[in-house]
Amino acid sequence: MRKIIGIILLIIIAWGIITSLQEMPFGTSRAKVADHYINKGREETGAANIVTSVVVGYRSLDTLGEVTVLFLAAIGLGAVLATIKRKEDRDTEKASLILSTGCRFLFPPILLFGAYIFIHGHLTPGGGFQGGAIIASAFVLMYLGCHEEKKINETGSIISESLGGLVFVVIGLIGLTIGTRYFLNNFLPKGEFNTLLSAGIIPIIYIAIGFKVGAELSKIIDLLMEES
Amino acid sequence: MNEMINLNPVLLIVVPLGLAFLTPLLGLISKKIAKWLPVVGLLFNLIVALAILPHVLKQPIIVKIAGFAPPFGINLVAGPVGMLLATLIALTGLLVAIYALKYINEGAEQKYHILFLLLLTGATGVVLTGDIFNLFVFFEILCISSYALVAYLGNRAGIESAVKYLIQGSIGSSLLLIGIGLLYGQFGTLNMADLAKQIVSSSDPSVFVPMVLMITGLGIEAAIFPLNAWLPDAHSSAPSSVSAILSGIAIEVGLYAMVRVLFTICHVSNFFMFFLFLGVLTVLVGEMSAFSQKNIKRMLAYSSIGQIGLILFAFSISTHFGVTGGLFQMISHTLGKALLFLSAGYMIYRTGSMEISSFEGIGKKMPLTALFFTIGTLSIIGLPPFVGFSSKFLIIKAALAKGELLYTILMGIVLLGTVIEGTYFFRVIQTIYFKGKDVATERNDSPIVCLISMSIFAVLIIVIGVYPHLVMKILNPAASELFNSIQYIRSVLG
Amino acid sequence: MSFLHNYIYYIGAFGLIFIGLFIMIAKRNYIKVIIGLSILETGVNLFLIAVGYISNGTAPIFSKAGIEAENMVDPVPQALVLTAIVIGLAVLGLVLSLAIRLYKHYGTLNLQEIKEQRW
Repeated sequence: MRKIIGIILLIIIAWGIITSLQEMPFGTSRAKVADHYINKGREETGAANIVTSVVVGYRSLDTLGEVTVLFLAAIGLGAVLATIKRKEDRDTEKASLILSTGCRFLFPPILLFGAYIFIHGHLTPGGGFQGGAIIASAFVLMYLGCHEEKKINETGSIISESLGGLVFVVIGLIGLTIGTRYFLNNFLPKGEFNTLLSAGIIPIIYIAIGFKVGAELSKIIDLLMEES
Repeated sequence: MNEMINLNPVLLIVVPLGLAFLTPLLGLISKKIAKWLPVVGLLFNLIVALAILPHVLKQPIIVKIAGFAPPFGINLVAGPVGMLLATLIALTGLLVAIYALKYINEGAEQKYHILFLLLLTGATGVVLTGDIFNLFVFFEILCISSYALVAYLGNRAGIESAVKYLIQGSIGSSLLLIGIGLLYGQFGTLNMADLAKQIVSSSDPSVFVPMVLMITGLGIEAAIFPLNAWLPDAHSSAPSSVSAILSGIAIEVGLYAMVRVLFTICHVSNFFMFFLFLGVLTVLVGEMSAFSQKNIKRMLAYSSIGQIGLILFAFSISTHFGVTGGLFQMISHTLGKALLFLSAGYMIYRTGSMEISSFEGIGKKMPLTALFFTIGTLSIIGLPPFVGFSSKFLIIKAALAKGELLYTILMGIVLLGTVIEGTYFFRVIQTIYFKGKDVATERNDSPIVCLISMSIFAVLIIVIGVYPHLVMKILNPAASELFNSIQYIRSVLG
Repeated sequence: MSFLHNYIYYIGAFGLIFIGLFIMIAKRNYIKVIIGLSILETGVNLFLIAVGYISNGTAPIFSKAGIEAENMVDPVPQALVLTAIVIGLAVLGLVLSLAIRLYKHYGTLNLQEIKEQRW
């Protein structure tokens, strides 16, 4: 019964969407807003990666919201799982020497790679979220490979996630008080195009996001690992 | 001019966000600080919102984020509607946060306060933003924090209803996102004013389909019949302070977003009959389900569905009067329902049961709380001199001013819903005051902090009820902003 | 053929969306519903990316001096998808934590058996 209703509902939606899609054939020319970003984005934000100039420049309030959503997820997860009693001992086999050594060996390069990704967010593909995800993946590796030392430093993660968010907000508020007086206004000099020290506040914000996302994703993984 | 810059509406979003980010850091120093941060943040919001409100009545303030002119950057539109709702959110949030100082005393308290503050920030963002995708992002902040807050107590009912809420809510937000994607694909812009300028007619299938998807997605959060299955469970299993916010703010913000899509972006003119019937149906379903409830919080939750139906009905009359009435009903429902949930919260806490029958004699045990509960019920039913009367009266006037038989008949059905509402609420009042044996029970009222917050709600309900033109001065420009999309487009795009 | 050429990416994306929606409506196991939700979100993200594509497009990054702006794809959907992915991840984390709690309370993840809340 449920399935039949579902199928009927989906057929109706599908029919509607097909009629709507006829207006927008695939792969045609860009929209007006996008043209502006690609042609003017370099001068207006100073970032070589136009996606970054959209994410942290033109649509930076979305990014602030996005950071908040991730923060919310970490907090919400903690609140939902808070009242459960922790199971301390589980029957787990200790990882072999090769595995745990290999993980420990790989851990620093992965962190370094994550940092590279978010520091170069305005020049190459990538940015704060991607770099943060790579950093979190290093922690996943440690959880899976080196079982006995699985704790992340809780104070450290709280500090980096809070400071990451605060840096974003405070930079925005500084923009509100100096220069052209807009929130998140790019008040720093844009520097030489396509070099590391360019694009004003964009790399600073991406570094803050990188720390924050790395800390939050690791925390989410930590909470879920302890419960399961 | 200088003053205007200092009081940038973006502060209403950013300062609470900053406080929320700061909370875990302060939590390392002291565990006691966390519960004061929502109070501080929302008090700040209330003051700033009240200071900005007079300015926007003449002309909306357009805030360009990062200095990029619309449609290229994101912009906030602090018009009369946005600021009116932002003030309402800050006020309700502040009073509920004061209540929660005492009420929330178990579980991960620090996390509760962060989630609470972020929920209200998300709601403020939704009502202020002028960009459709940004609206989606803030909407998700609102939704995700309410999912987590519904599950906050961690009991069986809470988790189960959070699961239901989350599944239905995330289907809704996916539909919303598909709708946004379809609109972007055709019009190449995400700015609401720019979209409104380019959309000629909503009956064109290429606009109609994304509109239906977006309305469905937002309708799930607004709990319009038949998308309301999650609401009674979620609102009744959450802590009472959270239920007050969910009923008073969250669903109304959903409805606001829906109305914004309908009126401003899509210029809907010919589907209002559909929404009119939907509104009447929602009223009837909500009130009739509420009538058969024995659990006080479920009863209040179903009554919220009925009230949302009434607001939708008022908007769908689609005259200036009707929209004014709808906005006024939003205010009166927020104040009334928040007061009801807060007072019911301590009545449940003291009796240890949600069954209405267990409230016998509570009028003597908790006289003030029972009084506030009574004020709330009378206002929701719509008796003078409370605020609910003025708003319902305005809606009736708007429906009659339309001068068509159909509107009169539908209005009659809605009034029938009000009669049902009156019946079940009077049953509760009767239980509270007149039932039970006359034994001298010890007085054990709610804590003083909670009484203060409830009394401010009660005073507001009476004051606005007696002097409705206090808010009418704001409601009139607000209604014309919502109703007149040409004016909106001109003020944003210049 | 030209129909397929024009719409194949949309068909793929909406195929995923419908599969996800169908799983969420029809299946009664909570984990399967979560899987459906992920498929749905992936479909939506693919759809957004497809909206911004232009034929023979390149990534919108000026990494070298001589790159033409002519063929760059629309950067906006990519920024939107970045946001949508993060939101999807947040919802997924919350949904999984609720699944853990649900299992501890009821000992089952079959939503048909978890029906304490009723009208």
